[in-house]
Amino acid sequence: MALATRAANPRQRRPPRYAIAIGIAVALILVLVASSILNYVYLDTVAGRTSLYGLLAVALTALGTFIGVRGFDRDPVQRRKDFIRAGVLLGLAALLWLLLIDVFIFTGAAGPGVAAICALACLPTTAFGLWVVRRIDRNEKEPWRLVLVAAAWGAVVATSLVIWAESLWQLIAIRTLVPGPGLDVSTAFSAGILEELAKGSAVVLLFLVMRNEFDDVVDGIVYGAAVGLGFNFMESVAYMTNLYAIFQPEGVGSYAAGFQWYARQVLGLFFGHATYTAFVGAGIGIARQLPDARRKLIAIAAGFLVAIAAHFSWDAWLTLFPIEKTAIGILEIHLRTLVMTGPFTAAVIALLLLGLHIESQALGDQFRKEAARGSGAIMPEEVSILMSPWQRFQQRMRALSRRGLRAYFLLARLQTAQIDLAMERWHRERKEVDMPLEAEEELRRKVVALRQQLAA
Amino acid sequence: MVAAPVDQVRTLYRTLLVYTAISILILVAGLVEFAYFEPAGQHTGLKATITGVFQYDPTHNTTTGPDRNSFARTMLFAAVVDWSSLPKDLVVDARWYDAFGNIVGSVGPATPDQLTSQMIVPVKVPPGFQHNLPGHYVFVVERYEGGVPVEVIGRRVVLVER
Repeated sequence: MALATRAANPRQRRPPRYAIAIGIAVALILVLVASSILNYVYLDTVAGRTSLYGLLAVALTALGTFIGVRGFDRDPVQRRKDFIRAGVLLGLAALLWLLLIDVFIFTGAAGPGVAAICALACLPTTAFGLWVVRRIDRNEKEPWRLVLVAAAWGAVVATSLVIWAESLWQLIAIRTLVPGPGLDVSTAFSAGILEELAKGSAVVLLFLVMRNEFDDVVDGIVYGAAVGLGFNFMESVAYMTNLYAIFQPEGVGSYAAGFQWYARQVLGLFFGHATYTAFVGAGIGIARQLPDARRKLIAIAAGFLVAIAAHFSWDAWLTLFPIEKTAIGILEIHLRTLVMTGPFTAAVIALLLLGLHIESQALGDQFRKEAARGSGAIMPEEVSILMSPWQRFQQRMRALSRRGLRAYFLLARLQTAQIDLAMERWHRERKEVDMPLEAEEELRRKVVALRQQLAA
Repeated sequence: MVAAPVDQVRTLYRTLLVYTAISILILVAGLVEFAYFEPAGQHTGLKATITGVFQYDPTHNTTTGPDRNSFARTMLFAAVVDWSSLPKDLVVDARWYDAFGNIVGSVGPATPDQLTSQMIVPVKVPPGFQHNLPGHYVFVVERYEGGVPVEVIGRRVVLVER
């Protein structure tokens, strides 16, 4: 839902989910602080120092998110200011984190230039991934600001959360287990459990804090995949730069980094972290629409479990598909990804398609009911147009050609408000709203006002 | 009597539960694999004596210098194992793993008596490379049972610097 207007929702008390969100956020920050100190004191590794110094980036991300979220409850002028501040803080946090990676992890070996090139190489592909992920929600696209916040959390916060835990796990495993398949399985459990919990926590927080923008399984998949893409971006930069530093003395550093880029940013862009965390989002999205607390918890736990299993299976059994160092190896790399992660990606796509189908049907039903109500928010002749993204686009293009850019954007806002209204009606009908009915009336008034503006 | 419409969200929920059942099987398979390669109750208390990790001269198959924990990537190095410290009826091997988990040097599996002529276990530079790749290298002496290594009875970790 794009509209959660101040007048429509004058709550004196916030829903309990905000308290849960604050609790989770505080726990995450405590874990980050503890992990940084533990790393620095006991491991004394470069990663430990990065984690410690990276707390500033984490603090900026937390502050930016807080200001951004707070902005939704303010008047439009203050809201705009808050969003700008939040955007600046998040941008600074991302840049600072990249800088830390460059300076403290790889600069000494690979140099800041290589790190910058690696980051720049991953930006367009990650941006493309986010664009695609956002586009798949054809009925109601999620706001860019939240998609980017999700990706930033995946890149900065989730990676920070797992550094210490994975380092510690690896340190203990290497010193206690028999090297070979057993150790590989242990490492795979570490990656699957810790990384999915770290990434999934961002989706849980979005679900708790931004309920108005978290409608169903489709939204969950979008946010989950966005978090995964953010994580994948940072992991790609780290692997590319690290392998460049390792292999460059042998003269094949660029090849090693380039291979990592292709494997993670092209071949694995949607097949890796995006797929895994999409399952977490799917679980939370389904929980959003379930009637009782028990099944909600089961759905959320199930999403995490599937994500962990998908991630685990790749890391644990990768060596079952060895790659030959010949031309046929190129084919094998693609086949390996398709065979190992393809089924999981197909499974998440199946949930997405079913979710889109349910959402489309529900919106169509609500469009018709609202048109029949005669409030003027949705006209009977608009129902078929609103139900089809292509027809909505065609209608906007007609407005553009006849009355210019202003009409195009006004119509876009009108269509969005109408869809928001139908979505609100759907949630109310299913008893999934924790806002009063006035919110729906406010949305209706908003639609009528936009229609009048467009007609003027 | 009109049947109530089926809530399609429940279909989504059930689909997710099916995925979950498959996921549980995957994770259980992982645990079984872990238990197979890390069998419980295999701790014997035996300790292999790793004399040290030294710079290695491949021409004369000898080691030189002091026991070290780190090496430059241009330096060749090897572990030295005192096989005589182990019971004769054991089956053991020794392996070097590089930072990527690849085996880059090994002897055995065999009985300690059969390995007495192979006390020096060098790290081999990967084919196509001039020097060792940097990172942490793990040297292990493993006890075998049923053709599978079941216990690490000696371990050293050394760093190859960048």
